[in-house]
Amino acid sequence: MKSNIFIVLALAYVLPTFSLAQNITIFGKVTSEEDGIGMPGVLIRAMETGISTATNELGEYRIILKKEANIAFSSMGFVPQKFLVENSMELNISLVPNLNSLDEIVVVGYGSTHKSSLTANISRIEGEDIANIPVPNFQETLQGRLPGVFVADASGKLGDGVKVRIRGTSSISAGNDPLYIIDGIPVTSSGSIDNSNPMAMLNMRDIASINVLKDAAAASIYGARGSNGVVVITTNKGFSGKTKFNVGIQRGYSSPTRKKKFLNASQYVALFREAGYNNDLAANIDPINRPEEYPDSQLQFVDNLLDQYAGHSDWRTGNVNTNWQDQAFNSDAGVTNVNFSASGGDDRTKFYFSSAYDKQEGILIRNSLERISGRLNLDHRLSDNFSFGANFSLSSTSTNTLPGDNLFNNPMQLVALAPISPLRDLDGNLYDRPTTIYYNNLIDSENSSWTTRSLRNLNNVYGEVKINKELSFRSEFGLDNITQNDDRYFGSLTATGQSSNGYGSSRWLKITNYTTNNYFTYKPIIQGNHDLEATLGMSYQNSETRFTSVDGREFPLDGLKTINSAAEIVDGTSTLTSSSFLSYFARVNYSLEDKYLLGISTRYDGSSRFGNSKKYGFFPAGSLGWVISEEPLLKDNAYLSFFKLRASYGLTGNALIGDFDHLGLYEPLPYNLSPGLSPTQIANPNLTWETTKQFDIGLEFGLFDDRISGEIDFYDKTTKDLLLLVPVPATTGFVSQRQNIGEMQNYGFEILLNSINYANKNLIWRSSFNFSRNINRVRSLSKDQTSIPPPYSSYLNGIFIDQPMAVFYGPKYAGVDPDNGDALYYANEDLSETTNDYNSAAKLFLGSPNPDFISGLTNEISYKNIDLLFLLQGVYGNKIYQAAGGYYSNNAYWFDNNTGDQMERWQNPGDITDVPQARIGQCNGCSASSRYISDGSYLRLKTISLAYNFPEKWNNKLKIQDAKIYIIAQNLLTFTKYDGWDPEVGTEALSNSFSNANLFQGVDLYSAPQAKTFSIGLDLGF
Amino acid sequence: MPLKVSHLPFVFLFSFFTLSCDSNLDIKPSQEIDEGTALDNDGNIKSVLIGAYANLRKSELWGGRLLLYSEMLGANNEIRWTGTFSQPREMLNKSILTNNTFVTDTWTVAYSTINITNNILDAISKVNEADQDKVKGEALFIRAIVYYELVKLFCQPYIAGNTEVNPGVPLILTPSRGGKNNGIVERYPIEEIYKQIIEDLSIAEQILPDTNGVYASSFAASAILSRVFLQMGDYASARDAANRSLNVALSIGKSLMTNYADAFNNESDSQEDIYTIQVNSQDSENAMQLFYSTPEYGGRDGDVSILNAHLELYETGDDRLLLFQERAGALRTNKWRDPNRNVKIIRLAELYLTRAEANFREGTSLGATPLEDLNRIRRRVSLPEKSSVNLENILMERKLELAHEGHILHDIKRTKGFVTDNNDPALKYTFDDPKLVFPIPEREILANSKLIQNPGY
Repeated sequence: MKSNIFIVLALAYVLPTFSLAQNITIFGKVTSEEDGIGMPGVLIRAMETGISTATNELGEYRIILKKEANIAFSSMGFVPQKFLVENSMELNISLVPNLNSLDEIVVVGYGSTHKSSLTANISRIEGEDIANIPVPNFQETLQGRLPGVFVADASGKLGDGVKVRIRGTSSISAGNDPLYIIDGIPVTSSGSIDNSNPMAMLNMRDIASINVLKDAAAASIYGARGSNGVVVITTNKGFSGKTKFNVGIQRGYSSPTRKKKFLNASQYVALFREAGYNNDLAANIDPINRPEEYPDSQLQFVDNLLDQYAGHSDWRTGNVNTNWQDQAFNSDAGVTNVNFSASGGDDRTKFYFSSAYDKQEGILIRNSLERISGRLNLDHRLSDNFSFGANFSLSSTSTNTLPGDNLFNNPMQLVALAPISPLRDLDGNLYDRPTTIYYNNLIDSENSSWTTRSLRNLNNVYGEVKINKELSFRSEFGLDNITQNDDRYFGSLTATGQSSNGYGSSRWLKITNYTTNNYFTYKPIIQGNHDLEATLGMSYQNSETRFTSVDGREFPLDGLKTINSAAEIVDGTSTLTSSSFLSYFARVNYSLEDKYLLGISTRYDGSSRFGNSKKYGFFPAGSLGWVISEEPLLKDNAYLSFFKLRASYGLTGNALIGDFDHLGLYEPLPYNLSPGLSPTQIANPNLTWETTKQFDIGLEFGLFDDRISGEIDFYDKTTKDLLLLVPVPATTGFVSQRQNIGEMQNYGFEILLNSINYANKNLIWRSSFNFSRNINRVRSLSKDQTSIPPPYSSYLNGIFIDQPMAVFYGPKYAGVDPDNGDALYYANEDLSETTNDYNSAAKLFLGSPNPDFISGLTNEISYKNIDLLFLLQGVYGNKIYQAAGGYYSNNAYWFDNNTGDQMERWQNPGDITDVPQARIGQCNGCSASSRYISDGSYLRLKTISLAYNFPEKWNNKLKIQDAKIYIIAQNLLTFTKYDGWDPEVGTEALSNSFSNANLFQGVDLYSAPQAKTFSIGLDLGF
Repeated sequence: MPLKVSHLPFVFLFSFFTLSCDSNLDIKPSQEIDEGTALDNDGNIKSVLIGAYANLRKSELWGGRLLLYSEMLGANNEIRWTGTFSQPREMLNKSILTNNTFVTDTWTVAYSTINITNNILDAISKVNEADQDKVKGEALFIRAIVYYELVKLFCQPYIAGNTEVNPGVPLILTPSRGGKNNGIVERYPIEEIYKQIIEDLSIAEQILPDTNGVYASSFAASAILSRVFLQMGDYASARDAANRSLNVALSIGKSLMTNYADAFNNESDSQEDIYTIQVNSQDSENAMQLFYSTPEYGGRDGDVSILNAHLELYETGDDRLLLFQERAGALRTNKWRDPNRNVKIIRLAELYLTRAEANFREGTSLGATPLEDLNRIRRRVSLPEKSSVNLENILMERKLELAHEGHILHDIKRTKGFVTDNNDPALKYTFDDPKLVFPIPEREILANSKLIQNPGY
């Protein structure tokens, strides 16, 4: 056994040699299985080379190949067939009618099934569809491809989080991320240092398929963790046959999707001098017309500061005009990928081996990601009754990390600096405060380093035994180990290290997550038209997080960056936290005559995260399906080839809360270097999971021999016993308590349509369209509580009953008083009165950060050797709040550079504009209001790719099996009215630093725009 | 062979079904302990007391912001806020939003500190008998000062009268643990709050030791008590308390530093310090330093600058002028220059000035004559001694001596003065102007139906 593996591995490294074969001619007749009549127009295509032909009117064909090949016979509405042909031969085949995509195998929890007999809602994409997309993690590739799945990257920063919401947001205070399962094992998807994305540690090219479990019938088998949906990923498997090698390379260039317009030096000077002068005039001082009043005037104050910000230059001459925004972006951004895989095996042992190198230079300065990964998947059948296998993967990721968006050393915050400030002084050193208004974080580029290195080891082994013909047992054990090391050094010139001769920090994190699944599958052989399949098993998972960090300062010189050199250790900690789940599950699927389908599943789940009296929960689901097209009435219908109705109802849970939220705890808190204890939370022994009740009714259909197929689902999902951080009076000594209280509803519909628009010998055009509408409403909170208003004065997200989660709430901006340039707000709900007093403005609902609908349209056109694919993706109806608007679009409140639109400010009585009069140091409309909310709808050409498959004669010359050269572009075009950087945004730092991560949705606070990437690549198979 | 192997999963399965019992779901936290354990023995309760100090030292309270609030509300066109934080700017502009996070956080940390002291007082019988007085005294000391800071910021000044009616703050004297109080408590009258503060501090003064390291001592308690009485306009009691504090402090060797500048930026307590918050590199938060200092000293960008109007108040030759320095593009005070230095809460100089003022107002000379105490302060900063003294002299000396240390607002209020607006110097806020009072935080109003909001919000 062992030696076999080594041979296979050795083979993977040896380039096989090929001998030229003679031409092969394959001919024959294609008939329909149903009536035996010859089928015209059947496409016959050599898989490797793309050589193709079609049958004539009688169903006859002839194809000449240069060498052995896999050929595929395909026709609309029939199951395609594949053959490996090595010699010239007559090949007569009969095609079986097919249910097209309706009959693919989908992965369900603890098993898989045919899509046609499924009574649950599961969406699926194939790994090959996303393999070459130049993004750092697979989650971003899901955008626009699956109905009911909303995906938004937090920003264009590499390695940061991706928001994935399946059928809306179901929780207020607990997590809303789906459960991720890879090869049957729940994997770690959060908790890494600084919320870096653990999914960026996986090689996308290893993915065979992604199945998203959305309704209760599908997800309740995952019980207490199914409420947010489940993303089930399988990795590539080997196949029996000759070993296939694939090599791919890709190189691409990236740039920001959009930039924002800021004032240039002369506009900046004009704006701020005008602001100072306006203040003077208001105080009856006129320093311009009465120069004797210039001393101590506000104009003088502005001029003095402009002198300060201009450094060695003179702002009056306008020589310096620094575009600080451009400084934030990396001009050499791009992607590089090299990957290699080998797969093959015989009828007993199959293997898949891969290795890949990825490097992404971020669009922001100081941001890059490098990943080296390897995987070996092995499956071995020892006998007819026993098989086992193992998947090993290892990845090493190194990220040059950036701080949170809200920090001064976020490169995007460079836009705040004055365009009159030169980059460097006369000695060539970067200017810092007081010449720059804020810290010039370009100094970080020259005087700091911040690298996060992650090693992830994701392994699982399984054994499967057929106890008899009807009963089998499978045992799985998985280990997911993440080790992270985050080393930061901020030199003596940086803001962080300036006062302490450098500041260094070293952090280590280790998350060990192991799982075992053990289950029986029973599939009795029953006479007649009955089919039954039952699953029964248990699962145990334990996850442990260990963290150690040490911070030091006072470094002898900036060249010595490890903590060893720090003269003073200022902070050090070591923590341990863990949680566990113990579960039992069962499922029965029954079908009668392949027409009437029934599914029942249940899970009994226990978790350490809940109070002693409520540790266990029970999550049942039931579903029914009716394949109407199998009924005699419709069976021979010429148009309707497939029609199925299904409905499901069931319970799932959400346990994404802290490990010890149910306890009343004291944590160590020192004072005067003496150890102390301080209370952190109130006990709640009754704490348990959130429960989601979900009803789903779905319709699946195929028309015209499945040339058009689709799915429509309506669902209603109500989550109760929300794990709410209920605000309690601070007079208790605490601000909140985790309670099971409140209700949230998500309901909506999803449409998926697949069609083959055109198909002939040379040209195939396929489309897939999806559309999802989700309506989210908070239905109740704690007793007598109708809202959780925005908790911070500079943000507008709040929680209100019967409103969508995180709805924007606050003063509604009413523009500018034409008489005096005052910012106005509506004073009452019917918008009939306005006020210039922010505090007396009426607080109103200002829109929702959740989209009304999301949609995607994929078109694939294959013409001879050329494949063109493009994906349009759209999000509609959501609002975005620019939290930094109060800093950069504030008509000269303070000296931050302002956006270009501030040139439209009110200047003279009678001016009609939305930008108030400039007044230095006086907030004229700069407070949080609808002034900084704009429509976040967008339509994006998400992915476009054009591939050319080498013709066979080239391949022969090159002695390869197949080759493809392609160009691919991601985020090439964006259509939006959003006036910030990019409408796909969600400032992550807010979720990290504030207690309520789900609240700050649709907020843009100096977040980087998305990357637009244009790549060229080559895939070779031999 | 297949038969044997097929047994394997059963072994697996049964071992897991049997092993995976409840105990696997019973995981205890490693960094924290249960509240019952925290309060059930002498050692742990003393650790909780350290925790109470640790809360008091947070930046939201005596870690610096309480001082900053007084400076911002009382800016009086003598200092300017130029930082990006909008919360202090709202205070400077007297347009505080009810969800101002600084205000909200101070309220919540204050009551969390009060709750800790209530827990300690509730469990005091479990402390070793010999130490009970000290632990109790320190807990009372901390509780009293937190209430005192709250009542000064969130309520009308005591001196404005009507103290039996004007709302104070919720008065909570029992711990919330085990549901003993649910926090739904109305605002007690200002009078009640002051009564409680005086009672707590008086007991603390009696039972606390004369020296107690950097922790609360009897003379720290009487020093705070003198502040409380001064704020109430009870000058005789203020004088007595200041005098008692001075006597103990001097008897253990406290004295004014020779150089005024040496009274600041001290790594450990100086001879002049009566009470400070301990700051060190492990625990470095000092909100005054953060906002008043400049980047080269680890401050923010120099968020507070000193205006000429303030400098003009000093007599020429005043050593205190030496503490002003041009840094990061504007004039700064050096009182809060260096990082990792203690937060000064009460200096000996304040006690002299309090005694001088109270003696003067009462026409007495307890401990020393007002002139003697005043000249002590003037001599140190190289100013000529005065030969006679009036109230104005004493108040001005106090203002300059204690400038930028968090006194200005409360001194303006208790002396029924006014605050000049920074943007419009013609605009004056009188001592009882509702704009000089914090709003009750919006989140608290929503969480506690018994609370009423302050006028003007």
